[in-house]
Parts: sequence; C-alpha cells; structure tokens
Amino acid sequence: MVNWVSLSIPIAYLGVLVGSLVTFSYLYRRRKAAKASSLASWFPPHLQRNIYLSLLHHEQVNPETGKPVQVPDSIIKTALLRRAAEDINRIISLRNAKPALGNLLQKGSVGDDLWQRFQRAEKELEAELEDVIREANALAPGWGQHIFQSANEINANTRLRARIEEIQSKAEPEREWWAKRREELRAEFMKELDEEGSGKGEKSKPTTNHGSSNAAKSASVAGSVNSEEDGVLVEDAGTNTPSTPSLIPPQTGGKNKKKNKK
Amino acid sequence: MEETFTLLPLHIDPTTKLITCPGISTKQLSDELNTLNTTHKTLLSLESPHTVPPPPLPINPKRSAQIQKMREQGNAQLAKRSSAGPPAQEHVKESLKLYSYAIEMALGRPQWEPVQIVRDEVALLMSNRSQSFIGLQAWPEAAIDAETSIECKASPGQSKAWWRGGRSLLEMGRVEEARDWVLRGLEVEGGENAELSGLLEDIEKRAERRKEREAKTRAQK
Repeated sequence: MVNWVSLSIPIAYLGVLVGSLVTFSYLYRRRKAAKASSLASWFPPHLQRNIYLSLLHHEQVNPETGKPVQVPDSIIKTALLRRAAEDINRIISLRNAKPALGNLLQKGSVGDDLWQRFQRAEKELEAELEDVIREANALAPGWGQHIFQSANEINANTRLRARIEEIQSKAEPEREWWAKRREELRAEFMKELDEEGSGKGEKSKPTTNHGSSNAAKSASVAGSVNSEEDGVLVEDAGTNTPSTPSLIPPQTGGKNKKKNKK
Repeated sequence: MEETFTLLPLHIDPTTKLITCPGISTKQLSDELNTLNTTHKTLLSLESPHTVPPPPLPINPKRSAQIQKMREQGNAQLAKRSSAGPPAQEHVKESLKLYSYAIEMALGRPQWEPVQIVRDEVALLMSNRSQSFIGLQAWPEAAIDAETSIECKASPGQSKAWWRGGRSLLEMGRVEEARDWVLRGLEVEGGENAELSGLLEDIEKRAERRKEREAKTRAQK
C-alpha cells in the first residue's frame, strides 16, 4: 500500500518548486517583453507607409455630389512605390550599420539594448518587405517581382540628380567670380603695358574689344615676364576676327594646335 | 513592423487628384506629398499596357535614340565651325543648345529607368557641352560641366572630360586647382595619357613662370 501521508510532503515540495519557477519565468519574460517594447524604435515613423495605409482607408465625401471620393488606383500604386523606395533606404542603412555595430558590441562599447533595437528593426523590416510584395502583387499581378528593383533605381536616380544639380548650381557664382577676376586681370595687364610703354603694348591695345578680351587676359595670366611672347599671343588673338580668337576642335590635332599656340 | 499606423487626414482634390494634408503641415510631410504627386504624374504617363512601372530593363529605346540623335547633331555643328559658312561662333552656340536639350531629356527620363544609362548619357553630353563652352571661352561653365561629367562617370575612358576641365581651370589662372584636377585624372586614366600629360606640362610651365614673376616683383620692391 502506498502511504499517501508520507508521500504528500515530497509532492508538496515539488509543487512549490515548480510553481515558483513558473511564476518567476512568467514574470521575467513579461518584464523583458515590456522592456523590449519600450525601447525606442531604430527608425523614425514610416511616413510613406502611413500615407499608403491612410490612402487605403481613405474616406472622403465629395461635398457637391454627396458620394464618397474614390482614391484612384494609380495614386495607391504611386504611394506603394514611394513606400518601397523608403524601405530600400532602410535596408541599406541597416546593412551598413550591421558590421560596425557587431564590432562595437563585441568590444563592449555599446549596450545590449542597442543591439536589441537593431534586431527588432531587422525583423520589422523583413515583415515590411513581405507586406509590400504582397500588396504589390494584389495591385498588379507580378509587380511584386520587380517593385524593389524599380524603387532602387528611383532612389539612385534621385541621388544622382540632386548631385548634378548641386554641381551645376555652382556655375552662377563661378561665372560672377570670373567676370570680376577677368576685369582685374585686364586692368593689371593694361597697367603693365603702360609701364612698359613699348610698341608691342600699343599693338595689343585694340584687343580690348569684347571678343578677344579673354585672350588678352589669358595672355596676362600666362605671365607677362616675357613681353615678347605676350605680344605674339595677343597679336594672334587680335588678327583672328573678333569672334573666335582660339577655338579648339575636339580632335587631338586641334588640341595640339592649341598647345603650340601657347 | 507593428500592425498599427498613424492615420493621416489626407485630402484628395476630386478633379486634379492632388493629395494634400490640410491638418498637418510639417516640412517632411509636404515634401513627401509633393514627391508623391509628381511621381504620380510620371506614372500616369506610362504607355497603356503598363499600369505599374515596368522592370528597369529593357528600357524604352525611343528616348535613347532621340538623345543620341541630338548629340550627333551637336557634334556635327561643332565639327562644322572650322569650315566655311556662318561664323564659327554660331555653330558652337547651336551645338551648345543641342547638347543642353539632350541633357534635359536624359535627366527627364522616368525615375525607374536604370541609373547607369542616365549616368553614361549625361557624362558624355556634359563632356561635349564643356567643349562647346570652351569654344565660347566660357571657362567657368566649361569647368563645371567637366566636373559634372566626371561626377557621373569616373571610370577610365573620360580623358576628354579631364582634359577639358583642366584646360578651363588653367585658362582661368587657377593653376593649383588645374594641377590637382589633372593629377586626379591621370590617376584614374592610368597615367599613360599623352594629352593629359601634355596639359600637365603646360600647367607646370605656367606655375613656374608665375613663380618667377612673383620673385621678380619682390625683387623690384
């Protein structure tokens, strides 16, 4: 016969032990989850996603007809494309950050919660990508296959165009600078000529007309130490009809010709 | 991603289909909505079988053909200037106009087309337009266009753009900049480029002469 009375003590012992472990584990996990969810998210709020979903849930009544306004399909597609483009940015930034962050974590330079935030961002992004592909396929069959390719090109194109614009916008100040500098150089050159007061200087005076002023200045830049060389150069510019002192054809021969002139 | 989102009070104009957000006015949101609306317009311009952007490749050959045609016309104008006919400057101006149109077209490609194509086209066109500016002795513009060309495509085979940029800088008397620029070009092009080396020699000569002149003026004082 089993002696229930003497067995009850070990059973109660086991019960208390398991119970306390379960309680501990439950509390611990809950606290951890709460802590993880309270961590700041890696990225700022996903604006493009918000716009896309707001458009999907859009409810607006046309005041004139009283009917609800339909959101055109094309706008929804555009919004999805924008969302995909932003996702590409996020993928790139996560990929760039990963090795560096891993390194810092190993050295102990950054805390564990940063790593947790990072991993959560990765998981979220994965879900987001799947979601975008699903939505794309729902909007147009097969679009999910290449929506991210398109989005990637859109990003690259936007960056390139911004860069080109940035460089081209320098043209205006450069032009102003050059106009001023050219005047200075010309004034300097004329002064030097006056000082020298030689026949060569006189000869180059007519070149102050607009067309060949460039040549005159470039000659002065070339260094007016050797006045003979200057004289030759300016004369060359002067004789060549006011419009084209020295045009360089694109071929190699033309370039050599120009070099020889100098 | 959490299963929630922030509902934005968006508003669609019933006729123009423009999206606005009357409630909130942050710069980020309005910028994004602007991009959305412009992208929407390009999406609407798609030809009928497509309702979504097609895959980046293959591309629509029409625009490429037009750009190439314009570039060739520009080249022809530039080549004509040494021959008889209207003054050379007119030809150069004409080529400048053609190149500028072509650049505009290349930059106006739909954004989902491969960026590499835009880079190649713009690099070539900018380099050619730089040549036109050199023809008009507009050195600052020529230098800027050469720089843009290099920015678009910095791989070897761009020696003309390097040369044009270097020459323009030299003509403006910016000897130091020209030297740095040409040295960079030689590095990219592999250092065995006769034209660039020749230009570098010119630059060195100019730098020396300038030094001499400075020494002389100092001596005079």
